[in-house]
Amino acid sequence: MGDVVIRVEGAGIRFRRNRRGRRSFKDLFAGSNRRARPNEFWALRGVDVEVRAGEAIGVVGRNGQGKSTLLKLVAGVMLPDEGRVDVDGGVAPLIEITGGFVDDLTVRENVHLTAGLHGMTRAEIDARYDEIIDFAELRESVDTPYKHLSSGMKVRLAFSVISRLEEPILLVDEVLAVGDKAFRDKCYQRIDELLAGGRTLFFVSHNERDLKRFCTRGLYLDKGLLQLDGPIEGVLAAYNRDYGSPS
Amino acid sequence: MPLPLSTVTLASPSRPPRTPARVYRQTLWLLTSRDLRVRYSTSFLGYLWSVLDPLVMAVIYWFVFTQIVDRAIGAEPYIVFLLAGLLPWTWFNGAIGDSTRAFIKDAKLVRSTRLPRSVWVARIVLSKGIEFVLAIPVLAAFAIIFGAELTWGVLWLPLAIVLQATLILGLGLMIAPLVVFFRDLERAVKLVLRFLFYASPIIYGLSDLPDGLDVWMAFNPLSGIISLYRAAFFPDQVEPFAVVIAALMSLVALAAGILVFRRMVRAVLKEI
Repeated sequence: MGDVVIRVEGAGIRFRRNRRGRRSFKDLFAGSNRRARPNEFWALRGVDVEVRAGEAIGVVGRNGQGKSTLLKLVAGVMLPDEGRVDVDGGVAPLIEITGGFVDDLTVRENVHLTAGLHGMTRAEIDARYDEIIDFAELRESVDTPYKHLSSGMKVRLAFSVISRLEEPILLVDEVLAVGDKAFRDKCYQRIDELLAGGRTLFFVSHNERDLKRFCTRGLYLDKGLLQLDGPIEGVLAAYNRDYGSPS
Repeated sequence: MPLPLSTVTLASPSRPPRTPARVYRQTLWLLTSRDLRVRYSTSFLGYLWSVLDPLVMAVIYWFVFTQIVDRAIGAEPYIVFLLAGLLPWTWFNGAIGDSTRAFIKDAKLVRSTRLPRSVWVARIVLSKGIEFVLAIPVLAAFAIIFGAELTWGVLWLPLAIVLQATLILGLGLMIAPLVVFFRDLERAVKLVLRFLFYASPIIYGLSDLPDGLDVWMAFNPLSGIISLYRAAFFPDQVEPFAVVIAALMSLVALAAGILVFRRMVRAVLKEI
């Protein structure tokens, strides 16, 4: 077992129930006190998780129970309202992976931009550039503006870039549902490789097969609380028991 | 076909950790060059556009105030006087206007990367600032053509740029997160900017104002800043009082901006 790389302590985050609800200036400047507000709910609360280097963790739960939110807290793209989330080392987030790409720039420019924004140095990008393009199978399109790519190509490119980041932690949020089967298999293979290379995986999915394939440990989130933290089989069994999906 | 294992990059804690300052600089530069590249790769005239806008404005005001109305404001040559105010105004106007959309425009990227959040505002200040600096040769060309004499006042230029950048950054840090919650603010800012154009010494100088009003006008930080820009050709335009006020207000704006931004960033991330 490696060192603890992700430490979530009593983390909670709340959202407004009613997005159109009125916001007052006072609201915004009130800071993060613990006073419950009428129109808000806790999407996650009191979550404690410790992840060690090299672990592969699957997060299960129904829609809207906080899975993606937990992932975003770990990714650092959201900040908890209470508790702490400490992540030791960089994170490669496969969340909204096509987000960083710019329509008007070419594939080549986009690779440099996105990889750079995710923390790769210029030398690292140059060293990995060919690998990224080959993996995405876009050798002929490197000078094509990104907007002219098909949506499948866009996802391929995005996955290719993010999965080449030299970060010890990999976060995956159901991105694998897209793309054709051949590419999906390639993605799976790539994740296997990364796991074999000692990466830590945080995986959100509804697909039981994928969860069993990659993960050893599971987190079961329900009603904003961490209900169960244990081996993936047990977690899936508990989830199926509660929600009666056939397995 | 399984890939040879050599292509697998092992978990690499070996890479030296990059300091936050370096990360900030790298991302700021990436985003700024992206902005500039997008602007110049999508439009045929590229660089010209960033100069054309203030230039056309300058010609219009020059025409109105020298050919139609008998003007008693500004200084000779008036077109140089105008441009020295209009170019910094274009930076201010563009950066403040864009900062209303700082988060909205890049929402997907903000949601998927954990970059230092203030970079979304800083990169607007920087990219508009670079366009401004690139436009300075145009001012120089006009100064040569119309025989404006360069003075030692040009040494104020760096201070003017630093003050203006500080001011814009501070205001941007306040506006950008607030707009996420109050979309109306986007329009309000446009309106205020239009008002501010005439409420700043751009087509006139501080000294053209009636007694008493110039003291109040000094509290518009743009007054002091623009007077510093004009010092290169019109050294008597510099009003030390206005400059000191501008410096103080720029620093206050930055402090307030940082405060507001820190307070709101958590809520912004949830909202976008």
